[in-house]
Amino acid sequence: MPMWLEANLVSVLNGLAIGFLLFILAVGLSLVFGMMDVLNLAHGALFLGGAYLGATFAGGGASWGGFLGALAIAAVAGLAAGGVLSLMTEPLRKRSHLDQALLTLGVALVVSELLIIVFGDDPLAVGAPPGLDGSVDVLGAAYPTYRLALIGIGALLALAVYLVVDRTRIGALVRATVADREMVATIGVDNRLVKAAVFAVGSLLATTAGVLGGPIYGARSGLDSTVLILALVVVVIGGLGSVRGALAGALIIGQIESLGRALLPDLASFILFGALALVLVLRPRGLFSGPAAAPR
Amino acid sequence: MAELPAFPRRKLLLLVGAAGAAAALPGLAACGSSVGGGSSGGGGAKALKVGLVVPRSGVYAVVGTDLQRGWELWLEGHGGKFGDYAVTTVVADEGETPQTGVPAVQKVLQSDGVDVVVGVVNSATALGVRDTIAESKKILIVANAGAEDITGKARSPYIWRSSFTNGQISSAMGAHLAQSGFKDGVYAIAPDYAAGTEVIAGFKKAFEAGGGKVVGQAKPALGKTSDYQPFLSGIQGSGAKATFCFFSGAEAITFVRQYAQFGLAKSIPLYGSGFLTEGNVLPQQADAALGVQTTLHYTDQLDNPANKDFVAKYTAKYGESPSCFSVQAWDAANVLNRALRSATAVDGDTISAALGGVGTVEDSPRGPWRFEGQTPRQTIYLRRVDRVGGKLVNAVVQDLGQQSQPA
Repeated sequence: MPMWLEANLVSVLNGLAIGFLLFILAVGLSLVFGMMDVLNLAHGALFLGGAYLGATFAGGGASWGGFLGALAIAAVAGLAAGGVLSLMTEPLRKRSHLDQALLTLGVALVVSELLIIVFGDDPLAVGAPPGLDGSVDVLGAAYPTYRLALIGIGALLALAVYLVVDRTRIGALVRATVADREMVATIGVDNRLVKAAVFAVGSLLATTAGVLGGPIYGARSGLDSTVLILALVVVVIGGLGSVRGALAGALIIGQIESLGRALLPDLASFILFGALALVLVLRPRGLFSGPAAAPR
Repeated sequence: MAELPAFPRRKLLLLVGAAGAAAALPGLAACGSSVGGGSSGGGGAKALKVGLVVPRSGVYAVVGTDLQRGWELWLEGHGGKFGDYAVTTVVADEGETPQTGVPAVQKVLQSDGVDVVVGVVNSATALGVRDTIAESKKILIVANAGAEDITGKARSPYIWRSSFTNGQISSAMGAHLAQSGFKDGVYAIAPDYAAGTEVIAGFKKAFEAGGGKVVGQAKPALGKTSDYQPFLSGIQGSGAKATFCFFSGAEAITFVRQYAQFGLAKSIPLYGSGFLTEGNVLPQQADAALGVQTTLHYTDQLDNPANKDFVAKYTAKYGESPSCFSVQAWDAANVLNRALRSATAVDGDTISAALGGVGTVEDSPRGPWRFEGQTPRQTIYLRRVDRVGGKLVNAVVQDLGQQSQPA
């Protein structure tokens, strides 16, 4: 077994890095979908927006100032975008998922077209900040330092989100809204505000993930739909509206994308959706959709 | 409004129908007419209408821009004329896939009534319009798409190519690597789609013919792979002495950067088909691309008078260096000009015959080339990414000689 781990350590590490990045991206989508029943297909476009911000401020000769600046601007832009999306979907709250999907898909298309107009259609590369742009030696194999850092940042963010949702009053309110929106409304909480807040924070996490993912994925048109699909798979595997589910789903998808492809290169194209199909057959509600997570 | 009842609804419908038919008619008429596109039959000013079908949206938009610039630059430098024919260009968006590309070609043929179609980046689009082109008896000059079948199995007398074939470029690299000490092991990787398969097939055939051994092969999903780490681990584990790859656009950037990030660039040199480091991807790959060697039919570093002149004019006009795509469109205009100097009409059969008699094109920026089976027989260059004056370029390492489309 140690031999096996030694040979595949890089893949396992990489699965962790991708997994934490996916968690940051998907947790907002999961909460908004699970809580307010709003399927936000513009989530990928938010990620891409963040990636382009990263490319603008930290492209080419990346500096810490540029990178942190991009993170800050992306956070503010994400908050604002989430607020706007929440307002836009408000009139559709009584309508079906299809109407919401159409609206948010439309928004996603408009945003990705605007991004092309603003940033051009050339794919852009994003450098890691100085000090993290090299490689470190991991048991004889070179591994990019930035990805190691990303594992740390991702784990911290995951812990923060988990503590807020699980251990604070605000988190309790969010969980209550996920479990029974009407009941929360009857005790005098305006759940439109809760929804707007979750939407805003979820979008903030998506744009932040875009900046953080920049040094790995770069910024290019089309990336939005790629990550949106990954995020949807994470949400489906993990179960709706559950932070633990999103984390588990993201880490599983991270390992499948990385270790799975390394071990089974011939199945690389199918392995992701194979896993999804397996979960859908065995646990249609997702791995972690316990009683706390929206039994509808 | 008050008169409407006097105008029977059925009549109105008929009128609408007739208008629709009339709208479609110019296209149909153009198919049959030998001159078409607004030019008057004999004498006087002669005109030629060209449909430039290139991607203006989607992932190949960058390629489309370069093609269009090459085309416009040639026309601008030659008074907008092919022979005695004044050229009008209608541009249509090819988009990304045949679902958008085929209708775009049909549109310029039928509603714009063009005499010649130039462009087409996607091979599936080029193959998809074969019958439309053959039925309308118009010339298509493929200015990019590299599938072997376009001028191979699916050959049509009306379809010519001014670019390259996938195998032409990769087989030159296969022969070269077999001779340069990498016989015992090369890993081959390219996306899982038609062009990727052709590139690898061409490479393998030539490499193995030279006594080389391919120790591993991978086909990442096209457009869905953003992280190549699993494949890079595979390359490291295969014991390969070198890697041969084919990627373009965003994937080329990601692959080359990650190849360096994961430390492979130091131990297993990276070789590839020239699109890996061509055009706008190179500045984005930055230092990760240094030392990567590729084969292609062009680089803006070529030292010949035609290229020096071309690069100077192109850079002055567009503020960036030309790519092989710019040259391919420039040469499409170049050969049409040669053909129309002698052609007496602009129907497909006449132009096709004239293109067959063009002979060696000696003033191309890529160096001399000629049509062989309707596709270029041309010099393939071995290039290495170097830093020249603070800028990354594809410097010429070696001239690998004139190459045909592989049989």
